[in-house]
Order: sequence, then C-alpha cells, then structure tokens
Amino acid sequence: MDPELLVGTLSNVLISSAMFTLAALGFAFIFNMMGILNLAHGAIYMIGGYVTYQFAVVFGLNPWAAILISAVIFALFGIFLEKYCFRPFIGNFDFSVVVCVAVSVILQQAVNIMVGTKIMSIPSLAEGIFRAGLVSVSYERITIFVIGGILAGIVICFVWKTKMGLQMQAVTQNREAASLQGINVNRVYAIACAIGSGLAAVAGSLMGAFTSLNPFMGDAMLLKVIMLVILAGAGSTGGVVIGGVILGAMNAVLPVLFSGEVAEVIYVAIIVVLLLSRPQGLFGHEFEIK
Amino acid sequence: MSDNQLSKHTIGGRNLVKPSVYGGVVIILAGLPLFIKSPYWLHVFILTFIYIVVAVSFRTIAISGQFHLAHAAFMGVGAYLAGMASKWFGWPPWLTIPLAALATAGIGMLIGYPFARLRALYYALGSLFFGLTIVNIIIAAKDWTGGWPGLTGIEPLISNASRIHYYYFFLGLTLLCLAALYRFEFSRIGTSLKAINQSYLVASSVGINEAFYRILAMGVGCFFAGLAGATYAHYNLLLSWTSFNLLATLWIVMYVLIGGIGNFAGPIIGTAILIMVPEFARELREYVPFISAAMLLIVIFVMPKGLAGLPHLVRSWITKLSERKMAGDAS
Repeated sequence: MDPELLVGTLSNVLISSAMFTLAALGFAFIFNMMGILNLAHGAIYMIGGYVTYQFAVVFGLNPWAAILISAVIFALFGIFLEKYCFRPFIGNFDFSVVVCVAVSVILQQAVNIMVGTKIMSIPSLAEGIFRAGLVSVSYERITIFVIGGILAGIVICFVWKTKMGLQMQAVTQNREAASLQGINVNRVYAIACAIGSGLAAVAGSLMGAFTSLNPFMGDAMLLKVIMLVILAGAGSTGGVVIGGVILGAMNAVLPVLFSGEVAEVIYVAIIVVLLLSRPQGLFGHEFEIK
Repeated sequence: MSDNQLSKHTIGGRNLVKPSVYGGVVIILAGLPLFIKSPYWLHVFILTFIYIVVAVSFRTIAISGQFHLAHAAFMGVGAYLAGMASKWFGWPPWLTIPLAALATAGIGMLIGYPFARLRALYYALGSLFFGLTIVNIIIAAKDWTGGWPGLTGIEPLISNASRIHYYYFFLGLTLLCLAALYRFEFSRIGTSLKAINQSYLVASSVGINEAFYRILAMGVGCFFAGLAGATYAHYNLLLSWTSFNLLATLWIVMYVLIGGIGNFAGPIIGTAILIMVPEFARELREYVPFISAAMLLIVIFVMPKGLAGLPHLVRSWITKLSERKMAGDAS
C-alpha cells in the first residue's frame, strides 16, 4: 500500500473519529438522560456551521472567535430547546419525536431560504502542510483533529470528575433516585442540552472549515450520530469515544476498499447486524423506553 | 365519551354517529371530481389516498408498540419490485401489483423474524437502519433500479386514462384497504397485538405468542405498504429513491402521530391534513415547510390525543366552560 494513501486514510480516520465523537456526545447525553431521540441534532450541527460562517466571513471576525460565538449561541439555544421542547415531552416518546422533527424542519428551511443551496466554506483555520519524509499532512487536518480531541477530552473529564458531571451520571442511571438525593434534575438536563448543542455547533463549524457547508449536511451527520450511540450503547460516555473511533475507521476505510455505494450498504448493514446481535451496544446496558 | 351523550344518536343500541360521518365523507369524495376539474388537485387527492394506506398500515404495526421506521423503504420495495418487473420483464400491472405486494409482505415477515427480539426503541432504531440499507441497496444496484436518477419506463396502470379514472381507482383501493385493515385491527389478532403493546410479559403469560403476532403484523403492514408502493409506481411512472428514504418515513410517522396513534381514524385525518393544507398554501413557496412544522407544534402542544381526539377535546372544553359559568352563577 503506498504511504500517501495510508497516511491520507489514517488522517481521515482520526478526523472523522473526532468529529463523530464531538457531534455524538451531546446526542448521547440527551438520549441517555431524557430518553429523547433528538432528531434536531443534525440541524443544530448544520446551522452551527452557518452561524460561524456568518460571523467569520460576513462580519469578518477571526474564525476561532466565530466558532466560540456560534458555540455560545447554540448552547443558549440548547437551554431553550430543553425548557420548551424537550421537558414537556419527557416520557412521551411519540411527541418528542414530533417536536424534534418540527424544530429540525424549521431550522433547515430557514437556512435554505436565507442562503440557498450554494456551497460555501468557512476560511481555513490553519495554513501550510506538515512534511516528514514521504508523508505530508496539512496543518488544517492536524488542527481540527487536535481541537476535536481536546474538546471531547474536556467533556469526558467534566462528566467523570466534576460534581455536575457526577450528577449527570446519577440522572442517567436513575432519574427518581437522583432527584431524591437533592439533585436538581431540570438543571442537569439544561446543562446537558447546552453542552450538547454547543459541541454540535463546534463540530459543524470545524467540518465546515475542513470541507464545505450545505443545508443537508446535518442529515448525514444525524445518521452517523445515531449509529454511534447504538454502537456505544446507552448510558456510556466513554463508549461514545471508542464508538467514534470504530465508526470513523469504518467511514474512512470502507470507501477505500469498496466503491462508494457498496460501502454505504455494508456500513449500514454492519450496524443492523450489531443491533440484532447486541442491542445494548458495545458498552451500554439495556434501556427501557416506552 | 359518556353514555348519555351517545344515547341521543343511537338506534337499536347501535351508535350511528360514526358510520354516518364515514358514509358522508365517502359520498363527498365520490362526488368530488364533478366539482374539481384541475388535474393537479386530483393528483394531490390520489397521493393522499396512497399515503393514507401507508400511514394506516404503519399504525397496524405500531399497535403492538413497534415503531417501524422502515415503512417508506418497504413502500419503496413494493414500488421498485413492481416497476422493475414491468420494465425488465414486461409484466402487466394486474400481475406486478399483487406479486410486488406479496413479495414485500414476504420480505417484511422474513425481516420481522430476527427483529422480533428487539423491542420499543431498539426496534425503531433497527428498522431505521434496515430502511437505510434498503435505500442504499436501491442506489447501489443502479443497473436494475436506475440508481440516483430514478427508474423510468414503467407501464401505466390504466392505458390512456385521465386523472379521474385514477382518482376512482385509488379511492376504491383505499377504501378496500381501510376495510381490510379495520377488520384486522378489531379481530382477535389485533386485540392480541394491543395486549402485547400493554405488556408483553402479561400477554405471553396468557398464551399469546409475541414473536408470531408481531411477525404477522409486520407481514400485514408491509403487504399494504408494498401494495401502495406498487400502485404508486404504476401511477407515477417515475420512481426515485428520495421518496422512500428516512425523511419520507419520518413524514409518515408524523401523519400517524399528528392524527392520533390511538385511533383508527387518526392516520387518515393526519395524512389528509398534512398533505392537503400545505397544498392550499403553495403560493407561499419556500415558506410551506414552516406551515407543516407549525401544524406539528400546535397539535402536540394543544391536542394530547392528536387531531382525532379533537372532538373529545372540544367537548371537554365546553363542559369546563359551562361548569365555570354555572359556578359563577351560583356564587
């Protein structure tokens, strides 16, 4: 195998793993704690990229500042979503799906109307190419991977080490018991939604800088994120990272081995087989939602 | 609904409100082509009839508590099987439609067997990705299915027919399918499925074979999805995978949930409202999806039982208002 392809594939594996993990963490939080399948997550990921574009290109801000602003805006939007769209429908799976679809339709159509389907790209975050012997990797790829990895690491440390994170774990395990211990469950929900939506916006911005933005990029990412959460299993935060690496590897390696369309079939079929043989995922526990 | 309210409209102990409403709707629909001459609106009605069958058959699987998120994909299986049989083998529509529907039912039951061990959310996610697999296979097998651009060259259902012929054909077909699905739901099998939904443990303890009934429900639901898909193929004459992807399934789910999943009439009302109302507003062009989304939000925040629960809801509001008035008068 020639080294160029090998390095290219490897860097693709790393970048897709980081992006999938970043986008999936928020989805996994909402899914694990509230039992809500947040189908609007893909739309938040997409529109987060567009908001960054708006600040970075139209208002001419530094791209890093633009990403930060976008993350804050969507963290606030996450709090809004939690309070008015998710909380009324906890335990009502049917209507939580409806509300997510409605929010996603509104966001996606708003982007469609405002920017149309023309392809745009956030300015590159880092210039130049890193060379070492035979291999060469652009600094942009390295930057995106490092940022994604650091952010995912911070969130995992937050969940595992801080008081708030432990409260989140407690709510994931048993909502009523956590509430009895004096944990403000609604505040935990709000923080989880804020972090999740903010991370999705960052992932969308990084992906928009790495490739390009289009109004339908959220749908593809949403499917990847659902796959990842199935792979990791409900209730497992560390599993999301490992699942992200597995999925990222599949995402980068399968198109090299097979033609594009066949790779898609195999990709999805693997997930179906996994669900049938191990519904609780690789690291999760059985999860009951009515 | 309390008993004294019912008794006003009953003859010989039978409630006549619902049958007369249904009969009235059917008569109006049968007379509609006399007033609507626009082929476009007839097309909208025909699409509504097709999606009513799909939505009600979705609900047939859902009464056992399973969200079959591959339903549009199964409609696509029926559509593509009928379309391919018509295009590549030249089979006539009266042969391809039943065969495609039966084949879809067979595939559904085959898939239902391994899927019977998944419940609730896991079933929903499993079927979601199975539907995705189907759509990806349709795209990948481009030599037979036409791939991305779609499948063309299907023989029309009725040669040299106007939209009015198709309108009556689909009206009749939909009524037949609805009658069959209604009988199925209120048969012994349907009752068993509802029991499984309430508690699969209790249901299996009284001798209901959970896996068998759920596979049966899959077969029946997929049969009607395939039937709708196959007739759609011979009506539309152009098949594109985008009509059967996840988004299409989600909209079918929206039709059912907005109409009210707890009621047989729910999916019918939901489909009619969610397809027709955006068509009335089609001058707004790109703002139409906002209307659909707004309808979804209004229904879930105001009507907990969906649109089919609206009469009940209005009645409870009136009762509440009159009670408040009486309390005001008394004080």
